[in-house]
Amino acid sequence: MENSLSVILGGWLSAGITIFLFSFLYKDNPLFKIAEHLYLGVGMGWWFIVLLYGTWIPKAYEPFMQGEYLLIIPVLLGISLVTQFIPRISWVSRYGFTFIMGYGAGLVLPLNLATDFMAQIGGTIKPFAAIASMSAGEFINYFLIAAGAVCVLTYFYFSVEHKGFIKKASNIGIYFLMIYFGASFGNTVMARFSLLYGRFDMLYDFSGARYAFATPVIILLTVCFFVYRHIADKKKAGITKTAKAE
Amino acid sequence: MLIIKKYIPLAIVMIVGLLTLATYYVPAKASQAYLSTLNQWEVIVSGFAFLLGLISLLMTHYKKIVRHEDGWGYSIFVFLGFLAVVIPGIISHGAQADNGTLTSLGWSFRYLYNPLASTMFAVLAFYIVSTAFRSFRIKSAQAFVLFIAAFILILGNVPAGQMLWDTLLGWTGCCSISDIIQWIMQVPSVAAKRGIMIGITIGAVVTSLKIIFGIERQYMGRD
Repeated sequence: MENSLSVILGGWLSAGITIFLFSFLYKDNPLFKIAEHLYLGVGMGWWFIVLLYGTWIPKAYEPFMQGEYLLIIPVLLGISLVTQFIPRISWVSRYGFTFIMGYGAGLVLPLNLATDFMAQIGGTIKPFAAIASMSAGEFINYFLIAAGAVCVLTYFYFSVEHKGFIKKASNIGIYFLMIYFGASFGNTVMARFSLLYGRFDMLYDFSGARYAFATPVIILLTVCFFVYRHIADKKKAGITKTAKAE
Repeated sequence: MLIIKKYIPLAIVMIVGLLTLATYYVPAKASQAYLSTLNQWEVIVSGFAFLLGLISLLMTHYKKIVRHEDGWGYSIFVFLGFLAVVIPGIISHGAQADNGTLTSLGWSFRYLYNPLASTMFAVLAFYIVSTAFRSFRIKSAQAFVLFIAAFILILGNVPAGQMLWDTLLGWTGCCSISDIIQWIMQVPSVAAKRGIMIGITIGAVVTSLKIIFGIERQYMGRD
């Protein structure tokens, strides 16, 4: 599959959709909309293939053909979900949904309690068991974590009115939350920018002779398209103005 | 009819929920077998849930094309994109590479899905920054703390920021910007994250119990 033609075609396609998507930074336009809709279809197609060859065939069809006839139950429950599209029998979909909800609720309850509740409380308290061998810096850090977690929980505790000591604690909690949100924001921005560098790097690669100069040619064509559209829009606006004046 | 439409589904949620819950606290062979079977079943049923979304999306765009609604031409690209992955996927039996050579599905992934997905997220970088710039105003001490945390994280993760820090504050010999980032991530962030996680868990536990005992039943739709 990886012959030079497929590489050139792939490079052009890849560079084209990347530039079309970036064109939205200038303004909303048909090229962006084409790439956006293409993404919708491609994404759905990709997950369809992943499910087909990762779940339905190896986990349902093949075991069923080998004699695991009980697998007809989840398949029927799954098919029941699709009855949502037939209003008269849409209630059948409840069977599939109740199975998913029941299993999910039963699984989440103990796991969340163990990992996100008990383990977090344990992680906050446990370090103080070694308080004697702790340096001053470590003690301050562990104290800040414990006090911060309590203050944040106080901020989310609405069963009592936030005044006096509770108000002070919840206000400190807000500061911890702000640091966390700020740090998360910074990390998200950096993650997105590293993707951006990756795209620019790819566009640079596709500008070479190996890809028949895909990037510069597509950028040029896109700019020509925008100029043409701008002129056409201006002409259209002029005609409408004249018609209105008449 | 009420039994079939309402009570049996509610019984399913309760029985499946309680049995799954029990398996965590009863580490017997039978409960492990039950859990692994139900895990397999859940994966299959959830796979069909994806079909719901897929059919809904394709039907919406099909109707748009048939009725020639505004922007119907773009809807054709949804189908084109879908087929551009599904047909190669079926031809190459879901494999991206065969003996080290890219299959047609691998080609679609490399030159179609990957650039589309990563560019979509890359474009968000501009919007995150421009929205933050337009809407964020340092009007309070809390907003200032948020800004400082974000600024340090962004500055410290780029070489220019590290160089700037070292040039301006390196002489103090106090700590590098990486140390400060590490401290932010390991101390105040952990405290806030723990508080949030504990809060979410309490909410999730209550909601799970309400689902299992049939108090919360919005997911069942209307009668």
